[in-house]
Amino acid sequence: MAISAAGIIFSNLNDNTLSRLTGDRTVAAIPFACRYRLVDFALSDMVNANISNINIVVNYNYRSLLEHVGSGKDWDLARRKGGITLISPYQTAFASSVSMFNTRLEALKNMKAYIEEFTEDYVVLMDSDNVINIDIADVIRQHERTGAKITVVTKTTDPRWSSKHPRMMLSSVAGKITDISMNSEHSDKNPELALNIFVMSTVYLRKIIEEAEAYDLNSLSGFLLKNYKNNNYRTYSYNGYVATVSSFLDYYRASISLAKDEEARSSLLWRRERPIFTRVHNSSPVIYKEDAKVESSMIADDCVIEGTVINSVLFRGVKVEKGAVVKNSVLFSGTYVGCDAELNCIVTDKNVHVSDGVKLSGNENMPFYIQKGRKV
Amino acid sequence: MYCKKECIAMLLAGGQGSRLYELTRETAKPAVTFGGKYKIIDFPLSNCINSDIDTVGVLTQYQPLALNEYIGNGAPWDLDRTRGGLSVLPPYQGMKGSDWYKGTANAIYQNIDFIKQYDPEYVLILSGDHIYRMDYRLMLKQHKTTGAACTVATITVPIEEASRFGICNTLPDGAIYEFEEKPKQPKNNQASMGIYIFNTNVLLEYLEVDEADPNSSNDFGKNVIPNLLANGERLYAYKFDGYWKDVGTISSLWEANMDLIGEKPILSMSDKSFRIFSRNRARAPQYMGPASSVKSSLISEGCIINGTVENSILSGGVVIEKGAVVRDSIIMEDVTVKVAHLSFRQLLMPSVRLVRAPPSAPRTPVATA
Repeated sequence: MAISAAGIIFSNLNDNTLSRLTGDRTVAAIPFACRYRLVDFALSDMVNANISNINIVVNYNYRSLLEHVGSGKDWDLARRKGGITLISPYQTAFASSVSMFNTRLEALKNMKAYIEEFTEDYVVLMDSDNVINIDIADVIRQHERTGAKITVVTKTTDPRWSSKHPRMMLSSVAGKITDISMNSEHSDKNPELALNIFVMSTVYLRKIIEEAEAYDLNSLSGFLLKNYKNNNYRTYSYNGYVATVSSFLDYYRASISLAKDEEARSSLLWRRERPIFTRVHNSSPVIYKEDAKVESSMIADDCVIEGTVINSVLFRGVKVEKGAVVKNSVLFSGTYVGCDAELNCIVTDKNVHVSDGVKLSGNENMPFYIQKGRKV
Repeated sequence: MYCKKECIAMLLAGGQGSRLYELTRETAKPAVTFGGKYKIIDFPLSNCINSDIDTVGVLTQYQPLALNEYIGNGAPWDLDRTRGGLSVLPPYQGMKGSDWYKGTANAIYQNIDFIKQYDPEYVLILSGDHIYRMDYRLMLKQHKTTGAACTVATITVPIEEASRFGICNTLPDGAIYEFEEKPKQPKNNQASMGIYIFNTNVLLEYLEVDEADPNSSNDFGKNVIPNLLANGERLYAYKFDGYWKDVGTISSLWEANMDLIGEKPILSMSDKSFRIFSRNRARAPQYMGPASSVKSSLISEGCIINGTVENSILSGGVVIEKGAVVRDSIIMEDVTVKVAHLSFRQLLMPSVRLVRAPPSAPRTPVATA
């Protein structure tokens, strides 16, 4: 039977932990893997589960995201019914200050009247900082089958796992959540990291919002923490590839892993049954010249390669001139690498110009970032 | 619906392209892949939108499935419009019966009603089997200045090849005094590109005349253009001096593809001021494996290269496995090449899995299915 679900994607819950990359874009709009933006993964996961009413919650700094998403056509979401809707904070005639959506629940409370109109049976909530190709339909089916009130997608992780941004860690017995804590304070030997993908019925979401208003709750994890003992909250255990991008170093490592790790590429990008969609550009195929030498690299259209590229990820329209050597680097679209220049462990933002002969190196644990439009 | 336009285009895309053999067994020639990610029809359609022509009738006939699917509602070329835009015009059944398109002129004749609803001053006739970038605005400008009834775009071809084309013999000011279709002894080397701008009234008048003539083969080059000349209409040649290639044969298609690569390619797809648009599929980026070696090649999205590729053009989703060597070849979408040596004018068709042992690999210049 067809799944009846609406989607809500939070675009910038942790903009502040990715400072360099979110200088003038939200987390959702961070370029990733040659031709994608982080939001493409959540969007495509939903679209591949036949979800066609998708709402993206934005706060500020969303011009880049707006431009990327457009009418939603590239995700087949330019629909008469449903499609893509952007939800942003707003001023009213009665309140001159705008209250920002700092948490999921704040945004959901603001969307209350709008969520009242949802005709779908279920709601799927996702963040933008997980790079994942997951079968959401299967998560919903499990949710239905187990009669859970909330299903949280989790991945078993190392107990020492930690991140700059507090993440929910869970313990479960036979799928039922038995303990919740934040981040690395977890005592469990095999804690499950919440991937912040939540499935619940639309009716239950409305109930959460009402309760949050009544008790002035502001965080969804707080709500879960308060209620998990008395309710059937369950985990959906995901074992495939996921990269959680909550710091610049996470971002760099996840990017480079795509160049090195076959498993990452094939489970994320080369899935015939669940392709990742993105805004398409009219770009031309990559041109490799006589002296090109390329190894273990992922390269987007419109690039022209005359030099050497190893273990790197190149976005659209990157030019690598003769004699230049690019290693372990991530070059955003429009980056120019001049003759005999050498880059190692570098992340260049859009339209960076590296002059002839310039040699720059970061370290695998501390990659060097060059901001948008810079000439070095 | 009446919707006034100054100039509309009629794109003849029904050709079988029988000299492309396997490539057009299941698809019309305009839908044949070119340059890794394009289809031949991208060129005239992109030329139209780059020339401010937003109303295009695409006449289809032969194996239209792939072509129809590809052009869809015209969105990739910005031709999905409320007023005008792209319309697919297949042959149809009417009260008087039905006819396949008997020739290029008859195809337009059968769609006179389509032309009339836009009430254009000019009609641009195009064909869907040439690789070229052309600003039709310049041709239209000349058409207006000369006060011609019809303007024929021409290109200089080597004189020894001139007998394969329709040749325009002109006066110094460009006025055509004679048009010879495939002459044995060509008088010059200005060949018709099969691109015409007609004043609409002239076009409609001569299409009626042509249709009424039972001996006509209903072809622009053979019948309509000579007829206009015989009746003393003003015909002018518009000399085009850019890149143009008729890709009607395997070898001309191969050559045109090869024009895209090398140290100084003759043809470039990266000119952003006059882009060739195409339908983009959601493919993953290309990946060059640890043992890959790629030189002087054009490689499209979704390719996975673990072998050697030199001087070749790879379309979307091609997989070159470890140990495979591909040289001087053009490989169509989603072909997987396992341990094999391909070289010298190999043109591989979609969805083929080629497995061949390297030592005694036959090296034949063919299109392989």
